[in-house]
Amino acid sequence: MEDAARPWRAFYGPHVRPEIEAASHRTLPDLIGGVAETYRSAPAFTCVLPNGMNGTLSFAQVDEMSDALAIYLREVAGLGAGDRVAVQMPNALGFPVAAFAVFKAGCVLVNVNPLYTAEEMARQFEDAEPHALIIIDMFADKVPMATRGHPIPNIIVTRVAEFFPSMPRGIVGLVQRYWDKSVAPIELPHIRLPDAISAGRAHRARDHVEVSDYGAHLEPDDVAVLQYTGGTTGVSKGAMLTHANLIVNMEQTFELIEGLEKGKEIALTALPLYHIFAFTVNLLGFWALGGRNLLIPNPRPLSNLRRAFENYRITWMSGVNTLFNGLSNETWFLDTPPRHLKFASAGGMALQAAVAERWEGITGKPLLQGYGLTETAPVLTFNPLGKTRAGSIGVPVPSTEIACLDEAGHPVPQGEAGEIAARGPQVMKGYWRRPDETAKVMRGDWFLTGDIGVMDADGYIRIVDRKKDMVVVSGFNVYPNEIEDCLVTHPGVLEAAVIGVPDAASGEAVKAFVVARDTGLTQADIRAHCKEHLTAYKIPKTVEFRDALPKSNVGKILRKDLRAAELAQTAAE
Amino acid sequence: MVGAFEQALLAAMIFVIMLGMGASLTPRDFWLALKRPQGLMIGVVSQYGFMPFIGFIMAVTLDLPEPIAIGLLIVSCMPGGTTSNIFTYFSKGNLALSVLMTVTSTIFGVVLIPVVLLIYASALDLTIPRENIIATLVVLLIPVAIGMTLRKLNANIGAVTEFMGSALALFFIAFIAVSWVPRNWQFLLDTTPATYFAAIMLGVFGIAIGYIFARILRLHPRNARTVALETGIQNAPLAIAIIALTFAGSEQQGIIAVGALYSLFIVITSTIVTLIFRRANTAAEQKLPDSLL
Repeated sequence: MEDAARPWRAFYGPHVRPEIEAASHRTLPDLIGGVAETYRSAPAFTCVLPNGMNGTLSFAQVDEMSDALAIYLREVAGLGAGDRVAVQMPNALGFPVAAFAVFKAGCVLVNVNPLYTAEEMARQFEDAEPHALIIIDMFADKVPMATRGHPIPNIIVTRVAEFFPSMPRGIVGLVQRYWDKSVAPIELPHIRLPDAISAGRAHRARDHVEVSDYGAHLEPDDVAVLQYTGGTTGVSKGAMLTHANLIVNMEQTFELIEGLEKGKEIALTALPLYHIFAFTVNLLGFWALGGRNLLIPNPRPLSNLRRAFENYRITWMSGVNTLFNGLSNETWFLDTPPRHLKFASAGGMALQAAVAERWEGITGKPLLQGYGLTETAPVLTFNPLGKTRAGSIGVPVPSTEIACLDEAGHPVPQGEAGEIAARGPQVMKGYWRRPDETAKVMRGDWFLTGDIGVMDADGYIRIVDRKKDMVVVSGFNVYPNEIEDCLVTHPGVLEAAVIGVPDAASGEAVKAFVVARDTGLTQADIRAHCKEHLTAYKIPKTVEFRDALPKSNVGKILRKDLRAAELAQTAAE
Repeated sequence: MVGAFEQALLAAMIFVIMLGMGASLTPRDFWLALKRPQGLMIGVVSQYGFMPFIGFIMAVTLDLPEPIAIGLLIVSCMPGGTTSNIFTYFSKGNLALSVLMTVTSTIFGVVLIPVVLLIYASALDLTIPRENIIATLVVLLIPVAIGMTLRKLNANIGAVTEFMGSALALFFIAFIAVSWVPRNWQFLLDTTPATYFAAIMLGVFGIAIGYIFARILRLHPRNARTVALETGIQNAPLAIAIIALTFAGSEQQGIIAVGALYSLFIVITSTIVTLIFRRANTAAEQKLPDSLL
């Protein structure tokens, strides 16, 4: 396409490169090491607990520890290049050390949601076949169940207060064990993260191993991360994101995020790092910027964030609509809005115009919405600073082409709705071991997002609908098939259908329609059943009992009819 | 009733507890409470308007021996003390407001205590020990200031101090309640039901009326809970010191008894109220969707 077809470039600031000709680094180990050289003893990550207890690692410490852990993975655990390593923990200091070690070892990182049930973990492990698992102690009790069919040979256990000074670490440990009772004994053979790092250090000293050797053969096009997502059919599959995908996407995003200074920013990371938005933008982006990342292990309740806001001069934060909306309703936040904030970035789910307006009123600083998908590492569009347009996902980031296509795959006339397709260096390599699924979403080198959008004449894009039946609950994708499969395993359920309905708190909420075998079945029974098998955000918020479900001629349940009826009813109210 | 060593030990404990309370605060918290002084003013009105009135009504209507009635009036005219700050902390109230209320009611007390006593007890001539008032303020403000400074210097030291202070506070509350009973066993047996009623209900009514008053004036529930605890919880040690200085002999024994009895029951009442307030606080928390965010 010609430049004329990219009118959005007019909105790029004077310092924005419209094309990222070459990424700053070839691979993630290059990036991680290079940045650490520059910022050495500056604080890179500070994990802040609700009571203000904290631990900090400098750039040099994270670099050295991840070196040692990479050596452990390769030399002691015996992993080879390209082997998968699953990392399953909330935001804590162990996360950057583990993730960076995996890259340096030439292995592939598999991000796993720590709140997954054992069944959900098992499905992901069966598909990714990790050779090692680095997991937080709080959830390690699920590992025996999750790995029954496919044992993982190496298990490394970390904790929330890992790398904290000894006094707060001890207090947190005691509170978790005896007061919260949130840490169960671990039955499988395992090694503690600090011990694994020590073992790696000992190996380095004895055998003079060079970590750089592991990364020497890495190519930008090699897979760095398997980021799991459900896709159209709800079959959980890993998007293969390469080193280049991640590095370029971080740079594309930061080209548009103007006004941040190298080595001077403090970012609040309340979004989980295992989610691709926080992974690319917060973890990699702020590392590259030399910023300090405040890691919040659990932002719920929101008062858990209060000490972080009080004790640190937060200059930037990312979040989803739910977070910004929630904070705007907290008395303490209204009383003492952050004074040093430059602006905030929203993604993961649609940002409601009212929420953005309220947030900007409270903080006096812009809230910029972006858009992207797991498959695109994730950022495709962002609102440029000072040129935000309410209700819009913004303009394409540099080196990115966006087109709205009709059913036949041809661009729709300007101003008309079509499926958003994207082309750029951030588009994934494909789905892990599923060429059939990959083929469904790729048309040449264009990736089909499944979202229906409209592009204005000047390049701003609005999302108007979604092609897939997927439900987005507060930034997390929920696939109706998975929930329906779970529902029909209940002996009292004959048939079930699941749709997304608008929800004030979470954007969309899961609603289930159930045809019951027996009349005594209640919403509570259904939810309790789901709770056994599904993560909390997937559990239907409401259950409606029906005598029958709308079906097509061939007997396929018509979710779109249920959705239309539901929306009509909401509108009528 | 309490030896010099025990008194010193208690003072040291309160110092450490207030150090922990201070470490949970920032100067901005105080600034905010001062910026909106309604809460503070409502607190002073509640403290010196309602409490002495409650004490007076009970002294008149209940069948109380005269020394008990005098003791009840004196306790009801006292300002708030550190105990109210501790319970405010645990009930997740507005601690900065609580500390400021204690400070203002204590300073105002120098003038207001004689005034309210003049109104309700027709010029009961009391000696107000200024050194005790100053001591109250010192024991409150110095550790709070040190605690805030510790937190400013190092968030971890602040958080550990807060943790230790609050753990000690829990021990302190349990210690007061448990150690009081055996020391005053005979006294408990000799006390009449009317006296029990007065000693218990002074705190209960104070907390209830303080809360309702603050809510009627549309204070935020968190601040209303703070005003409630601050109103109901009096500085009983100050009352005991005033009585000891003013009265002598068996008269003193009788008057002091109310203060001692009140000290025991206010700890029990406040513990129950704190549990209720904590539950209310949790219930008022925003319900976020089940996903992490």
